[in-house]
Amino acid sequence: MSPTRTTKALLACLTAVALTAVTACGSGGSGVVSGDGIAENIQIQAVNDQTGAVAYAGLGASRGAQLAIDEINDQGFLGDGVSISMGQSDTAGKIDRAVSDMTKAMSDPQIAAILGPTMGQQAAAVAPIVNQRKVPTVFTQSGAEGVVTGDYTFRATAPMESYYRIATQWLADNDLKKLSLIYNATFPTFAILGQDVVPEQAKELGLDIGQSLQTQSTTQDFTGQAQQIASANPQAVVMLLTAPQSVTFLKQLRQAGYTGQVVATSVQSAGNVAAAGAAADGLVYPVDFSSAMDTEEARDFVEAYQSKYGETPDPYAAEGYDALWWMAHGIKASGSSSREGIQQGMTQVARDGFTGAMGEISFDGNDMRVPGVMVRWENGEESLIS
Amino acid sequence: MQEVLNAATLGSIYLLFALGMALAWGTIGILNFAHGATFVFSVLVAYWITQSSPLPLVVILLVVMAVGAALSLATQLLVFQQIVNRSRSHRSTELRIIIAGIGVSAIPVAVAQRATGSSPFGFDTTYRSREFNIGGVHLSTTVVLILLAAIGIGVGLTLWLKRSRQGLALRAIGVDSEVSGGMGVNRSALALGTMAVSGALAGLAGALLTLYLGAIAPESGDPLLIKAFAIIVLGGLGSMGGAVLGAYILAGAETVLIQLHFGTWVDAVSFGLIFLVLLFRPQGLFGRKEVRRT
Repeated sequence: MSPTRTTKALLACLTAVALTAVTACGSGGSGVVSGDGIAENIQIQAVNDQTGAVAYAGLGASRGAQLAIDEINDQGFLGDGVSISMGQSDTAGKIDRAVSDMTKAMSDPQIAAILGPTMGQQAAAVAPIVNQRKVPTVFTQSGAEGVVTGDYTFRATAPMESYYRIATQWLADNDLKKLSLIYNATFPTFAILGQDVVPEQAKELGLDIGQSLQTQSTTQDFTGQAQQIASANPQAVVMLLTAPQSVTFLKQLRQAGYTGQVVATSVQSAGNVAAAGAAADGLVYPVDFSSAMDTEEARDFVEAYQSKYGETPDPYAAEGYDALWWMAHGIKASGSSSREGIQQGMTQVARDGFTGAMGEISFDGNDMRVPGVMVRWENGEESLIS
Repeated sequence: MQEVLNAATLGSIYLLFALGMALAWGTIGILNFAHGATFVFSVLVAYWITQSSPLPLVVILLVVMAVGAALSLATQLLVFQQIVNRSRSHRSTELRIIIAGIGVSAIPVAVAQRATGSSPFGFDTTYRSREFNIGGVHLSTTVVLILLAAIGIGVGLTLWLKRSRQGLALRAIGVDSEVSGGMGVNRSALALGTMAVSGALAGLAGALLTLYLGAIAPESGDPLLIKAFAIIVLGGLGSMGGAVLGAYILAGAETVLIQLHFGTWVDAVSFGLIFLVLLFRPQGLFGRKEVRRT
């Protein structure tokens, strides 16, 4: 990614301010510090799922991160001769393995920072250790509570609820006001959305949720729920289900005779809804990133990713990519590749925001926020609708 | 009426999956925790062979049954039989078979996760489900197929076990493996045959479930495995008729809860119900009162 001129100028100013602050205050202050400077080889470690049930998220994040590293090194973004290298550990969907691999990485003084686990339970388990050992760690995905808990924990995936407003707003704008809601109440992200976020936003926007159906993660057959919704015949259905559940629900909803609009979540991105075939046509959902986005940064990222990997990037790759650029901006801002320097630099970047593949990125503390876009799934492809 | 049909369909899906497990566990004493992985892997093969062009449903069903049978046979030959040969007591054999089954199941699931990127997957078939509306009840040819397959195979297996000589021999193994061996029952051959049928049923269940749901995930076998376990225990170990009834009771309870908008209580109430039955009838609805194998 090539930072915009504004960002470059901003970063230059930040660096200058940082150096001045260091000169004036030494390294003990709370401002940005240069510490021991930027090392020629900065080692980071990716600790995420490369195999297992959510391997797609870890694989995507690591691929995106590696692409960012290639660009950072090629551009000499951190200075001549300075390069980042990334090792890879596979947590294989297991919490104990995540703790073990993270502990091992943190014990290695050569590891300056970590690209952390993508699974919420793994991230929540390692977050206290991260803060205790003071190793800057950027998580992607990991939507659970208790992940961004201290100065050294960062998250490069905006929680779904932080940008779901664009979906409810889209419903209101299209005059789709009579809704049915179905959500997986045992999946934390969907439980928050289904119980709190969507009902609150619906109330604000004058949408009427006439029917709210809860399911479990173990639910595989949705015949009953699909028929109940088809009988109520709402103007739109808000579907907050996991990827395999969504495929089944969509097929059974159409079989039950419902022909109206269905609004879903970013879980349906990355082609996860393709198996539903024609039943998924017309589905709309908000995403933090889509390869259909038309900003310069997004287009550059998609082009570079396709060139390197021969496929279109998914949101997980965009999150890994922006996570690494966040880290690089942080190193540059603090002028230090020490663990403390990276932490303080990333905190500084989080205060100011930056432009990434996912758009104009802002932060709530160390937690990323993105504007998000609405996309429509039609004939096996996503297209922008906002 | 629609709810009754929904419950019957869901029960038939559970039954198709549980029958293979019930057959192996209730006769040759193999509680096969790799049954769910066999189910998933069979569908994965169907997914692979239909990627270039769709195939007729009958071809897909034959392929998944063959794959399921082959995988189950291989598991029996390479894993379970080795454990049986090396174990000294029945108790330790059962425990080792359970652990080995869990271990074996990780391999096909890992292959499926790697092959699909853990995304939902199905297969492409030339078969197209036709929808009907009879007296306000929504019905499809796929539902009819599932109902017929489940009831037909369930009743067929029950009768076969009760009336055929091989069925009698299998039941004899289930009651007392050593004595049956002394009576001339070829335990190894029957065990292989039983596992092959069990695997074929897993493949068939996988294909019909995928047809009904649209797609499955690499982990779809896990929740079904737990439900099948509960169904067999509820119906009574060794009783195919009990498994049939257990499947429809569990599906009926789940359908009522969904109808009453208690979707998140499905597992808790369904398994609570089973627990209550077992409190008052530990051998299950149709189980033998006392089964001791030494």
